[in-house]
Amino acid sequence: MRAWIEPLLAIGLALLLAGGLLLGLGADPLAALAALARGAFGSAYALESTLTRAVPLCLVGLAVALAFRAGVWNIGGEGQICVGALVAAALGTRALVGGPAAAQVSLVLLAGAAAGALWAGIAAWLRVSRGVSEVLSTILLNFIALLGVAFAVHGPLQEAAGAYPQSDALGAAARLPRLAGLERLHAAAPLALLLPGLAWLLLFRSAAGLRLRAVGLAPEAARYAGVSPPREVVRVLLISGGIAGLAGAVEIAGVTARLFEGLSGGLGFTAIAVALLARLHPLAVIPAALFFASLATGSGALQRAAHVPKVLVQVIEALVIFLSVGFALRRGGR
Amino acid sequence: MPSIALREIHKRFGETVALSGASLELASGEIHALLGENGAGKTTLVRTLCGLHPPDSGRIEIDGETVGIPSPRRAQALGIGLVHQHFMGVPALSVAENLVLGEPGGLALRPRSLRARAREMLERWELDVDPDTPARELSVGQLQRLEIARVLGGGVETLVLDEPTAVLAPSEVGELLALLERLRDEGRSLVLISHKLEEITAVCDRVSVLRGGRTVASREVAGLDAARLGEWMVGRALPPRGRPAGTTPGPLALRLEGVKAEGLRGIDLELHGGEVLALAGIDGNGQLPLEELLAGVRPLGAGELNVLRPPLALVSGDRQRTGLALDLSLAENLILPAAARPRQSGMFRYGLLRAGELRKAAGEAIERHDIRGGERALARQLSGGNQQKLCIARSLRARPGVLAVVNPTRGLDVRAAAAVRGELRALAREGTAVLLISTDLDEVLELGDRIAVLFRGALSVVDPARRNRERIGELMLGGE
Repeated sequence: MRAWIEPLLAIGLALLLAGGLLLGLGADPLAALAALARGAFGSAYALESTLTRAVPLCLVGLAVALAFRAGVWNIGGEGQICVGALVAAALGTRALVGGPAAAQVSLVLLAGAAAGALWAGIAAWLRVSRGVSEVLSTILLNFIALLGVAFAVHGPLQEAAGAYPQSDALGAAARLPRLAGLERLHAAAPLALLLPGLAWLLLFRSAAGLRLRAVGLAPEAARYAGVSPPREVVRVLLISGGIAGLAGAVEIAGVTARLFEGLSGGLGFTAIAVALLARLHPLAVIPAALFFASLATGSGALQRAAHVPKVLVQVIEALVIFLSVGFALRRGGR
Repeated sequence: MPSIALREIHKRFGETVALSGASLELASGEIHALLGENGAGKTTLVRTLCGLHPPDSGRIEIDGETVGIPSPRRAQALGIGLVHQHFMGVPALSVAENLVLGEPGGLALRPRSLRARAREMLERWELDVDPDTPARELSVGQLQRLEIARVLGGGVETLVLDEPTAVLAPSEVGELLALLERLRDEGRSLVLISHKLEEITAVCDRVSVLRGGRTVASREVAGLDAARLGEWMVGRALPPRGRPAGTTPGPLALRLEGVKAEGLRGIDLELHGGEVLALAGIDGNGQLPLEELLAGVRPLGAGELNVLRPPLALVSGDRQRTGLALDLSLAENLILPAAARPRQSGMFRYGLLRAGELRKAAGEAIERHDIRGGERALARQLSGGNQQKLCIARSLRARPGVLAVVNPTRGLDVRAAAAVRGELRALAREGTAVLLISTDLDEVLELGDRIAVLFRGALSVVDPARRNRERIGELMLGGE
């Protein structure tokens, strides 16, 4: 079976099952699907919202896919996003002085990426030097990062007005401009196309990528061939965390302009679903992110127009994950 | 009259014939040693007795009556128990809990009676530990004794032990042997799989020797010596010649001096260009430590390892685990070592793969080594023989001065094995120094210009004048 059929089957089956559920509830599944599609793609605004939403999903999904390829279970996308956003907000609202806009915003984004990489680097250090499973450490680091954001917006980074637990808005020069002629989609959106392409080159056309995949598929064989698995683990966690941190900074500089609690909103976890649906292929991450983004933006319209509760979308998400993992297991793959 | 007899047992697994007419007669109240090379069928034979591998044909008799043993449960009911090399209980449970784990109706045990029963059993089997200790805190020797107590707890009269001393420290071996003697003196019969001559002569009453799935000898231990046992074990076919007279070896290529590491007690060897030095020996006598040392994944404890004609390349003995990444393609496996050192390989530019170079390298390897499979085929999809050719092709890419190969034809069919051996011989002719580590004595005799035997992490060199199966078999068992 061709590689892309299984994910499509998973989506199709998930929609069918959700449709059956709707029938049982006495709703019209076709109308619901139409409402969902309209909400996600039905207008220029809807389409732009879906694309804007897909950008961080794509980036973090890519981060997860890269780590998983090396057999490194980075569950810490959520925390790495938060740390990236926190540092971006701190720089954009407080510390940064002057400079041309392009330099300021680039610095904000790079700082976010560096912060994400360092945050994941803690997990890498724990695994390599202490043998701590990265599954545990990245999950626990998520909580620390979330609480760190909460502390910041109630304390040092809280807006000058002091009314809400949120930061001040970033200065205009530190923000990402919109793409020409668009209302919402920001200038960093093309990164969601560019980085998967670079990742594809890295994975399938470079020495580093071959080492990384070998470590994920057969660590002992990699070791015998002269590859150092710990070094690859550190490297891939830094890259993965860096991309997730960048996604957090992009959200601040391009979408919200402010830091607040719940900014990431489970993005780091949906990204795992994106990576799995994409079967860890860096280019397939793009359509997979679009799919999950359209579910999210379409869910509002679903509730308004078809009177179907928004949570149905979460049911569909869960079904897609189950089914795509199920297909992978049946194949005997990873 | 023997209490248990296995007669004319045949067993095959797919294409592989494990047993072809093996037999074993076990008298009550004796310790019966089972001896044989790796792959001779010892483990399969005792597993037949324990209901783990019901035979394809043949008879099992107990006290003269033919019985079927289709399952371990049936074996248990007949009073036959198997002691595995490793502890099969639950490490997190206490010693007492482990002791009653397999007993029927153990659900409503009261802790106090449980502990009392456990204490009694421990005392009986001379295991001086607190019954409340978690099993994971026990030493290997204590765990083994716990395992024996567990098996005996079920009223076992016939006990089978599969290389029980292989995992023990020397000081623990004596204690185990004493326990085995005591079990015999209490009227049980024991089957002991062992490669160790002194164990066999110390406690065993009779010995059966398996070769190629058949029982070739069965007699009293008294009066036997290592030479005789070794001859039975490895057969008496005419040995092929070593290096043709008059050829001289090339320059020194590899030297190991007093090399010690975990599992190696001190290895000295010199290997010259153009020759094959073959290391024979029964598995578990230092092959894996030596391989890992040469692969650079096991640290050198002491001594010196000098590669005088670098690089040294290794063809791992475990193609599927350490040799190849099965889910990478043929071409990717071929260049994995290059990816570990991209700058020296010429395969990458700025870290990026040079597609043309890759295709050229893969095409060359496929053609020169006659690998049946495309460059994009996953290593998993190749047959065992082609996987092995790929491993060899890969190790040769670095143009090694020294090539170490471990069990290069294990699991290959006759044709593939011949191809691999031919390739190794050709390499030596071209001047490569080849170190062959193999548990296959035929292979050692066929390829080795010089032969040495690994025994318990040390080497004994075979005197060219005594290059024959009997002598090598004797050394494999630790004979002088």
